[in-house]
Amino acid sequence: MSYRIPVGPYHIALEEPYKIEVECEGERVKSAYLKVGFNFRGIEWLAQRKNITKVIALVERVCGICSNVHSMTFCMALEKIGAVEVPERAKYIRVVVAELERLHSHLLWAGVAAELIGFQTVFMHVFRLRERVMDLLEQISGNRVNYSMNRIGGVNRDITGPAKVLEGVAELRRVLTESVIPVFTTDATVQARCRGVGVLTRSDAIALGAVGPLARASGLDMDLRRDNPYLAYDKLKFTVPVQQAGDVLARVVVRALEMLESCTILEQAIEGMPPGPLHAGDVYSVPAGEAIVRTEAPRGEVFYYVESDGSDTVARLKIRTPTFLNIPTVAVMVQDNEFADVPLIQASVDPCYSCTDR
Amino acid sequence: MDAVSLREKIAGDWFFRGGAWWRLEPIAGIRTIASQMLQGEARFATIVATSAADRSLRVSWHWDVFGTLLSVESLLPPGGLMPTIADIYPGADWAERETRDYFAVEFEGRDHTPPLMLRDTDRPGILLESKGAVR
Repeated sequence: MSYRIPVGPYHIALEEPYKIEVECEGERVKSAYLKVGFNFRGIEWLAQRKNITKVIALVERVCGICSNVHSMTFCMALEKIGAVEVPERAKYIRVVVAELERLHSHLLWAGVAAELIGFQTVFMHVFRLRERVMDLLEQISGNRVNYSMNRIGGVNRDITGPAKVLEGVAELRRVLTESVIPVFTTDATVQARCRGVGVLTRSDAIALGAVGPLARASGLDMDLRRDNPYLAYDKLKFTVPVQQAGDVLARVVVRALEMLESCTILEQAIEGMPPGPLHAGDVYSVPAGEAIVRTEAPRGEVFYYVESDGSDTVARLKIRTPTFLNIPTVAVMVQDNEFADVPLIQASVDPCYSCTDR
Repeated sequence: MDAVSLREKIAGDWFFRGGAWWRLEPIAGIRTIASQMLQGEARFATIVATSAADRSLRVSWHWDVFGTLLSVESLLPPGGLMPTIADIYPGADWAERETRDYFAVEFEGRDHTPPLMLRDTDRPGILLESKGAVR
C-alpha cells in the first residue's frame, strides 16, 4: 500500500524550514517532492535598492555558515568590473578566512551527521573542535558569524597574530588526524549506517548540476580552487579528494579529507603571506559593466552575476548558491531507500535552506 | 569532453568575455545546445535573466566544464515564451521556476511552472518592479 508522508517545513533535527513530501510503499520511498522558499528574503531585489557598500553587508547575510564567501565573491565581481587591483596580502587573508570558514562548515556538518547516525560522543567531540575554529575566526575578525572582512579592493582587517592561528591549525590537524577522520572513515557503525545509502550516480550528478563535496563524492573531479584558481590558490599546494561510490559514506569521506586539505592550505597561506597593504583604497562605485565570479564555498560552487550601470547601486545581482543545485538531488537519492534513512540522506547534502532561499 | 572540444562540437562563434566563453544564440536554438552540452557531460550551472531595453529580457544559460564556464545568451522579446530545458537537464527546473518568480516569463514545453520562492497566490515578476527606495 502506498502512502504520502509530509515532513516539514519545521523539522526536529534541521534548524531551517523546508518541506519534503515522501511517497512510500511500506518502508520504501518511491518518490519525493521538495518545497523551498520558506526563508525567502528577496535579497536580489533588495540589492538593487541599496548602495554597494551596504550590499556587501547584505550578501554576507545570505548564509549563516558561509557568510564570508558571499561578501568575498560579491567584492571580487565588483573588482573585476572596476579593474580594481587587490593587494597580495589581502588575497592571502581572504584565503585564510575562506578556509577557516570551510573547516567551520564541514565540522558543523560532521557534528550534525554524527548525531543523525546516532553517535553522540563524536557529535560532542566535533563541536568542541568547531568551537576552536570559531575562536580563531573571532580572533582574526572580532566576529563569530558575520566576519565583515571584505571590502571592494581588499580586506578590512589584518591577521595580527598569525602564530596563534598556526597553533590553532596544528591542533585542528592533530585532532582531525587522530580521532575525527578515523571515526568517519573506518568506524564500523558509521560504515554500516552510511554505505550504499542515498546513492547519487555520476550521470545524475551532472544532469542535476550537483556541486562541491556532493559532486566529488559521485566521481566528479572538480574544484574551482584548482580548476579556475582565484585569490592566491594558484600558489598553494593541495589535493582534491574524490570518491566514486556516490553514497552517504563517500560524502562523509570527502568532507573528512577536505578538512585536512584546508589545514594544509591554511599553513601555507599563513606562512607565505606577503607584507603589504590590505586594500586598494575607498571604492564606492564601479564603472558600467558586468561580471561573473565563481568561488568554491564549503558546499560547492557559488555563482555571482553582477551588472553595474556605473552608479553606486547594482543594476542586477544574481546569486546562485551551491545548495540551490544540491537540494533537488535529494528527490533522486531517497528513491528505493528506507524511509528512516531520509533524514540522513538529506543531511548528507549539507543543505543550507537560508542560502537556497536568499 | 573538455571545454575546447565541446565548443568545437557546438559550432558557432564563441568569444571570451569576463571569465566565460560566450555565444549569442536565437532563443529557439537553446534546446539543441542544451542537448549537446549534456552529451558532452557539461554541468548545468544556472540561468541569469536581466531586464533589457524595450521591456525585452536578456537571458543566459551557463554550463561548467571542469572549471570553464560556457555561456549562451539570447534575447527574449516582451511576451515571448522561453523554451524549457528542464526535461534535458532536470537541474534547470528550479532555475526556470525562479526566473518566472522574478520576471514573470512563461515557459514552452512545461506542463506547469509553479512558483519556487513565491507563494502560490503571489504575482510573479518581482524584479520587474521599478527601482526605488526600500519600502
